[in-house]
Amino acid sequence: MTSKNRNNKCKRIRAWLLKAVGSALRLADADESSLLGLDANWVQNHIASCPRCQRRLASVGKVNLALSIIKSQPHNLDLLMRANAQAIGVLKHSLREAPKARKLKVARPEPKLLERWRKYAHPATNAAACIAILLLMKAGVFSSMDKFQTQGQEVIKQYYATRAGQDVADELFSA
Amino acid sequence: MAGKTVSCGLIWDFAVPKSVDESQRWVLATMQRHGQELVTMLWRILGNEQDVCDAYQDTFLQLAHHQGRGKPEHIRAYIFRTANNIAISMLRRRAAERKLSRTIANSRLPGVRFAKGTQNRNPVNSPAQQLDSKYLQETLRYHIAQLPEHLRNVITLRDLAELSYAQVGRILEISAATARVYRCKAIQLLAVWMSKEKEQ
Repeated sequence: MTSKNRNNKCKRIRAWLLKAVGSALRLADADESSLLGLDANWVQNHIASCPRCQRRLASVGKVNLALSIIKSQPHNLDLLMRANAQAIGVLKHSLREAPKARKLKVARPEPKLLERWRKYAHPATNAAACIAILLLMKAGVFSSMDKFQTQGQEVIKQYYATRAGQDVADELFSA
Repeated sequence: MAGKTVSCGLIWDFAVPKSVDESQRWVLATMQRHGQELVTMLWRILGNEQDVCDAYQDTFLQLAHHQGRGKPEHIRAYIFRTANNIAISMLRRRAAERKLSRTIANSRLPGVRFAKGTQNRNPVNSPAQQLDSKYLQETLRYHIAQLPEHLRNVITLRDLAELSYAQVGRILEISAATARVYRCKAIQLLAVWMSKEKEQ
């Protein structure tokens, strides 16, 4: 492998890595790395033999890992309550005694609206899909019935036209 | 006349606290609205509950005393930036204290000799220790505190407070694309510093 070719591969991998960092993707995630093309054979082969790329990937991975660990550390449930109580304690008396302040002193963290509704997302999607299918079926059935009716009329008109004559058929079906 | 003055004074005394009270209600409203995300961000920056409470208290104290007790124009941006600055100052102070206590401990052990470059550092050698979660967290926090302000703000708001680039941009008064570029630079810098840490 020429050094120029090798450098080009290094550059491409570095560009991918920057893209991954910019879009806040997790390199450890198989889906996300495949999305970036990091699981391609030549990439894997190159990384296996290029110490510079190995170092680069390892160091960015380490930062990502540390950030994930920090984000995954839970705090005590009463932390918000304690923080509120301490902060309210240094505000002036009239604010300390306000009903809202009393409520804040016992506030507990609540999940965001989106997170609360996330558990209903799957059943809601299913229900919406079912409704859509039903509507489509209904629309299809009605349009088929209309088609069937007009075709049936055509056939009967044709029958009368051949048996009793065109005048009679026109008279019957124009009414 | 004197009676009139006294009565005016009394009216004034009663009127002032009430009007101040009314005008500062927004402090509590802000606490209710943004308290939770602020606590989460502070917890992730500091990793210590007492420090979180102290930083939170300082943030709201500064908010309540902002320019003659007036309400800032962009209240969310104000509290996030204030909390961020307070937390970073605390982190730096903590790092300096740790360094000082380690130096003192080293100087008290005259018989113990350290290899060059290992003084004032954690004795981290094995890969298992390097991946130790506490060590990783503390190292990252230490390095985040050393970042230039514009990069540090983006990292804390985007990664620790988990705000979108648009929100980060609005808070820092930069575009979302600039925030993205700053984050990229910050991660690269952190990666370099953390790999250097590993080598030393």
